[in-house]
Amino acid sequence: MTLLLQQLINGLMLGAIYVTVALAFNLTIGILNFLNFTIPPLFMLTAVMAWAATQFGLPFGLTGPLGWAAALVFGVVVAVLASLVVERMTFRYLKTRYGDATEHAIPLVSSLGFLLIFQNLARMAYGTDPERFATPFNDMNLRLGGLIVSLPQLFSLALALLIVFGLSRLLKYTRTGRALRSIAENPDTALLMGVDVGRIVPVLFVLTGLLCGIAGAIFAINYGQVYVGMGDEVGNKAIAGMVLGGLGSIWGAIAGGLTVGVVETLSIQFFGGDTVQAVVWGLLVVALIVRPEGFFGHHAIGKGKL
Amino acid sequence: MSGYLGGVLVILCINVVLAYAVFLPVAAGQLNLGGAAFQAVGAYATGYLATNYDLPVPLVFVASGIASGLIAFVFALSILRTRSVYLVLATFAFSEFVSGVIVNVPALGGSMGLPVPPHLGSTVVVAVTAATTVVVLLLMQTRFGMAMRAIHDDDTVADLMGIGVRRTRVAAFTVGGVLAGIAGALYAFYFNFVDISNFGADSSIYLLLFVLLGGTQTIWGPLIGAAFFTVVPELFRNAVAELPAVTHLFGFSGQLDTSWRFVFLGVATVVMMVVRPEGVVTRIGLGRLLHRTPASVSERSQPA
Amino acid sequence: MTAGADVILSLRGVTKAFAGLKVVTDVGFEVPRGQRMALIGPNGAGKTTIFNLISGVFRLDEGAILLQGADIARRPAGERAAMGLARSFQNIRLMPHLSVVENVMVGQHVRTRGLVDLLTPLWLPRNRIWAEEAEARLRAFGLDTYPNVVTANLPYGIRKKIEVVRALMSRPKVLLLDEPAAGLNPAETSSLRDFLMEVAAEGVTLLVVEHDMAFVRSLCERTVVLNFGRKIYDGPTAGVQDDPGVLEAYLGRRSAKGKDAAAAALAEGSIHAS
Repeated sequence: MTLLLQQLINGLMLGAIYVTVALAFNLTIGILNFLNFTIPPLFMLTAVMAWAATQFGLPFGLTGPLGWAAALVFGVVVAVLASLVVERMTFRYLKTRYGDATEHAIPLVSSLGFLLIFQNLARMAYGTDPERFATPFNDMNLRLGGLIVSLPQLFSLALALLIVFGLSRLLKYTRTGRALRSIAENPDTALLMGVDVGRIVPVLFVLTGLLCGIAGAIFAINYGQVYVGMGDEVGNKAIAGMVLGGLGSIWGAIAGGLTVGVVETLSIQFFGGDTVQAVVWGLLVVALIVRPEGFFGHHAIGKGKL
Repeated sequence: MSGYLGGVLVILCINVVLAYAVFLPVAAGQLNLGGAAFQAVGAYATGYLATNYDLPVPLVFVASGIASGLIAFVFALSILRTRSVYLVLATFAFSEFVSGVIVNVPALGGSMGLPVPPHLGSTVVVAVTAATTVVVLLLMQTRFGMAMRAIHDDDTVADLMGIGVRRTRVAAFTVGGVLAGIAGALYAFYFNFVDISNFGADSSIYLLLFVLLGGTQTIWGPLIGAAFFTVVPELFRNAVAELPAVTHLFGFSGQLDTSWRFVFLGVATVVMMVVRPEGVVTRIGLGRLLHRTPASVSERSQPA
Repeated sequence: MTAGADVILSLRGVTKAFAGLKVVTDVGFEVPRGQRMALIGPNGAGKTTIFNLISGVFRLDEGAILLQGADIARRPAGERAAMGLARSFQNIRLMPHLSVVENVMVGQHVRTRGLVDLLTPLWLPRNRIWAEEAEARLRAFGLDTYPNVVTANLPYGIRKKIEVVRALMSRPKVLLLDEPAAGLNPAETSSLRDFLMEVAAEGVTLLVVEHDMAFVRSLCERTVVLNFGRKIYDGPTAGVQDDPGVLEAYLGRRSAKGKDAAAAALAEGSIHAS
């Protein structure tokens, strides 16, 4: 019983990362109707670049190696900048010349291109081995009865929930939020209503980069290691979280992300570590067949033809 | 044919069959991000059947195609009733799922891989590829092929014209599944070993991208895409090995294996989506080449 | 109004709302077989919505749509096409990457039977009839200059006509045309009218949404006028410009110009509600 509870706690803690990354997915698909496959590599890039900064310092020999906190900030900045590059090259070029059914897929296809670029540049530069990312928090645990709760993880979970809450406020009450929501309704109407779409959309990509960066930083602190494959193995599972919660739903990201985290730790507990991939993605396939709109989704999402 | 060139030719052939497997759904307006997973189903079906049963090779081919096609059919039938972004997600999930399952099945060799006994030479591979190309060519010249292209251009209107949109898409996806299964069988029989790590999500993305870059309006696009992204990296294989500049950017030297090919494809994708998202080969381009369309109608005029 | 054998299409109490907002309210009218009928009204009156409800793009909330006596309101769009309904679109919806002939051949789709028609190459002798029929149709309407050119490349007026030819290829009983004259110059408009007269002479019933009143008067015998989703007039086209309700809808009761000006404007055909 204690073991089960412990796994449940571990699952929720792991889920915090999925929640944050799933939120990035949900924002872009909910507002721009764009399934952005650069999100997992941005998550990876943050952590790997932060590690690289602790080892080698900034590029071109600008300074010596950075401390862990400065390195994480550097990683987040890289993710935000990379996300802005993605915005320049994907969303700006939505229209094909004759407006056929695949035009909506152009940003998606570009983002697949960026996925290959980011993943493989990182692999070429740093190899695929896991590297240790040391922080003062690596062994700070809270003991509650027989249960162990990692403090940084608890902090991460709180942070993830806070971000979701803050973001939903931002979307509801700020000018930027209203502009973003009007773009989600209809980009053409938003333009007519005086929303400067060309200036608001980059804000969304900065948010995407920030969310991925925060998730990457959380991962590096919580697990004390980073590796190039973490985009594939961890970041991608946020897609499962997004779908389970409901495409485009901010609160769905919490439910979906935490569900994936718990399912993952429980399947390790009951079936062994090798089964995680089959269980999580199998669950997603089933969910897509049985309830594609997820826990909180609505049908407006994905109206573009892909 | 033997040695290095033979090996490149075989990979090219398998990539062409796979390209057509992905092309068919795309031609009907559906992206398939699980091409390599459907190939894996075919390859493992071949491996399993050839190891455990004494079946004639052609029968194994057929069975592998059917196995993959059947899964594609059930998959398309259940997912295609919802919005199309879900099919992209579902095919992506499927490719991760297939890798996850095969690693856990001892009868399929798990993560160790599965040896496949009989070897088929490059002649068979080339012959099967040629046959596949002809079949796809003929299929696209039928009313079914025309219906696929009509749906790709405008599915609402196609529906109003009485074209069974969902039926056509399910059929296109299923035939694509069969072709992917056959590509898997070719792979298994030629290399005599299947390892799931060769059929991951990355391979599926690679596959979809070279099909899209080649162009999906005609059957020549996938052929060009597959040929370009198979042959060009081979041409530069040696040149790139002596270019370690990128890896030293941050003072650390990682591996320079085949990663650069993916970077090359990624850059090509991003650039192409900006300058020519419809791919290299288009019907308009082909029409100019073949029929010498006069310039006067080439300019698209707008309403007054 | 007569009912039964000679009414080919009839709408009864058709109502449709989007997000709680009623776009079409309790609209009913009947189209006799072989008639050339117009559906007009100011912008947002619900004309295109009615076309979308008849052809099956949207499902109606209430009411019935009868095609030759059978309620089609809840049948899939493809089935309606097979029963003899075809349409064109306000903004041309040709398949941009299909050639002219191929586009027209898409219109034949509902007439194909079985897998043999579907899965044999179109260049086989048994299938040549399809392309030949399409080419003959295009020739008959003077559109055969570039049969193999992708339609994305063609001028607007030509694409507009090709769309009508495509709709005709299903051999429809009722043809719905959404603003066929929009964006055409006077010469093109007059050639389109002659073209549609020929189509009607072949026994096809026409229902036309159009803003160009001169065009409507020269083509259509009867007119239904909609305003804010409700029917406000149903009668001879000639009577539209004298109907007080219609004038009010177009210019408003307190218009500075007054009724006479409105009537004059309608008579000249200079009122384009778009």
